[in-house]
Amino acid sequence: MPMGFVIVLSVFLIATISTLANSIDRTIFTIYGYTNHFTYVIPQRVTQTVPNDQLAIIRGDARVDRIMEASIFFTNIKTVIGSLPFVVLGLAQENEDYLLKRVGTTLKEGRMPAEGMPEAALSEPLARNKHIKLGDLVAGPTDEGGISGAPVPVKCVGILTGPVWIAVTSKSFCDNVFLAAPRCTIYTTKNPDDLMTVNQLFSPAKHRQDGKLSPAKVQVLSRQNLIAQVRDSLSTMFLIMAVVNFTVIFVIALMSGMLANIYFTQRLAEFAVLAAIGYQRWQLIARIVGETLLLTLIGWVAGALATFAFLSAFKESLFEPRGLFINPLDLFAYQYTLPIPLAITIFAVATIAYRLLLFDPVSIIERR
Amino acid sequence: MNRPGRELACESVSLAYTDGARTTYALRDVTLALPPGNFYGIMGPSGSGKSSLLYILSGLKMPTQGQARFGDFIYNQRRSSDVAGVRRERFGFVFQQPFLLSYLTALENIVVAAPKADRAAYEKGRELLNGFGMEGLENKLPSQLSGGEKQRVSVVRAMINDPDILFADEPTAALDHTNGRLVVDTLAAWRVRGSVVVVTHDPEMLTGADEIINLRDGRLEK
Repeated sequence: MPMGFVIVLSVFLIATISTLANSIDRTIFTIYGYTNHFTYVIPQRVTQTVPNDQLAIIRGDARVDRIMEASIFFTNIKTVIGSLPFVVLGLAQENEDYLLKRVGTTLKEGRMPAEGMPEAALSEPLARNKHIKLGDLVAGPTDEGGISGAPVPVKCVGILTGPVWIAVTSKSFCDNVFLAAPRCTIYTTKNPDDLMTVNQLFSPAKHRQDGKLSPAKVQVLSRQNLIAQVRDSLSTMFLIMAVVNFTVIFVIALMSGMLANIYFTQRLAEFAVLAAIGYQRWQLIARIVGETLLLTLIGWVAGALATFAFLSAFKESLFEPRGLFINPLDLFAYQYTLPIPLAITIFAVATIAYRLLLFDPVSIIERR
Repeated sequence: MNRPGRELACESVSLAYTDGARTTYALRDVTLALPPGNFYGIMGPSGSGKSSLLYILSGLKMPTQGQARFGDFIYNQRRSSDVAGVRRERFGFVFQQPFLLSYLTALENIVVAAPKADRAAYEKGRELLNGFGMEGLENKLPSQLSGGEKQRVSVVRAMINDPDILFADEPTAALDHTNGRLVVDTLAAWRVRGSVVVVTHDPEMLTGADEIINLRDGRLEK
């Protein structure tokens, strides 16, 4: 019983930690999911707009559908790794209509931002994340942190609904208020499935002069770059997690192995009598292996179910409002716990089998 | 493997324990033959080597000198797994304590000793329990049985494989007189199917024995 409980707790602990850790990139990919539909290119500090030679490269690809100039500002959102800037796209009316249609988003509540007015429309999860409703401030002069904020208070006038997080305002408002802010270029592809290929082709590559976008002139905020940046910044964390995981598994295997040995010592008479009545040693070892496997299997399943129940129960009430998008059925996280029953079984069986091979049943029966 | 004969015997058997420079003999130069179909009692004062002789005769211990055999199956010339196989298939054991597995029912405890835990073994176990007046106890856990009932279950466990020899080491020591008598009578009844070898220090328990072997200081007493 105590051993089973240890297994349940350890599976719960590791699966929960792994799910939460995995949720970091899941969160970022959810928040910046619009990169699946369009890519935006920002000029480097040298120019305010994307240079013409760079635009020519984009225009030169027949797979590109529309190229739009957007003026932008940023608003802070909550994530598991702290506040992150989220872009509010200032677009001309025609482009705004096109882009929202492309990402499958419609107005759910309120209205779209009026031309030149300090107004914005946000998708539902974005509004939930910022705890704002119609009429509340999306950004303002008192916003803290890096590039986020606006010199004038920007109100939320519309709530959008759709599969991606997106925020829009009017281009004229941005152009009038964010005078020195860079103007970015957004592009889509005729066939949405081509976006990744086109991104790959355009992505600036250092030391290469082969006609692709130049990193000295522009930054490309594409899906690929997002994934690469996230993976790079999280790699150390995943390494730490792997070390912690290994340590926990080692300690738990050791502890469970010792518990199994104590349990075995309590049952020595049972094994002695079985050996005396003619059970072969391998049969006794098989009995231990079977029992340990069954116990660890039940413990693992119970631990996995407890993790799933816990994460499912608190997914929407606890995690998502804090900008943490978890998958309670994250198979990778559950796979991470598989070494626990294996290590426990191997350690417990090896030590007990050794004792079984050496023990003298008669001495145990005589002692009683 | 040839099917061994049925006579139980030991020849010039000694069992010594060495502790540093000191050697203690539990048995010294014991020779005896126990033809099948009898009820044998082994008696002697505490420390006389009664249990050691039973363990040697049943292949649970190997002598330090001499040899013990079951028919032509000489224990110390065989692998321990073969000896274990003989114990499993041809012998039954009753110990001072019943040593029932606490998480198994009475019937499951009996079937544990069967060569194969199949439907026939369960049926046979049930019949034996009923035959010894323990109807209705088959599904009880050891914790729900009295001391006498537990020991009788352990006797039935020893009989489940139709043993040629039933070995019992002080089977009545933890029982009151009535229950002790009941257990010994049950064991003695087995002589029609095989031999019974009972170690005890209580002569009253061996009143029906065909032969009593007396031991003193590890030697046979004439």
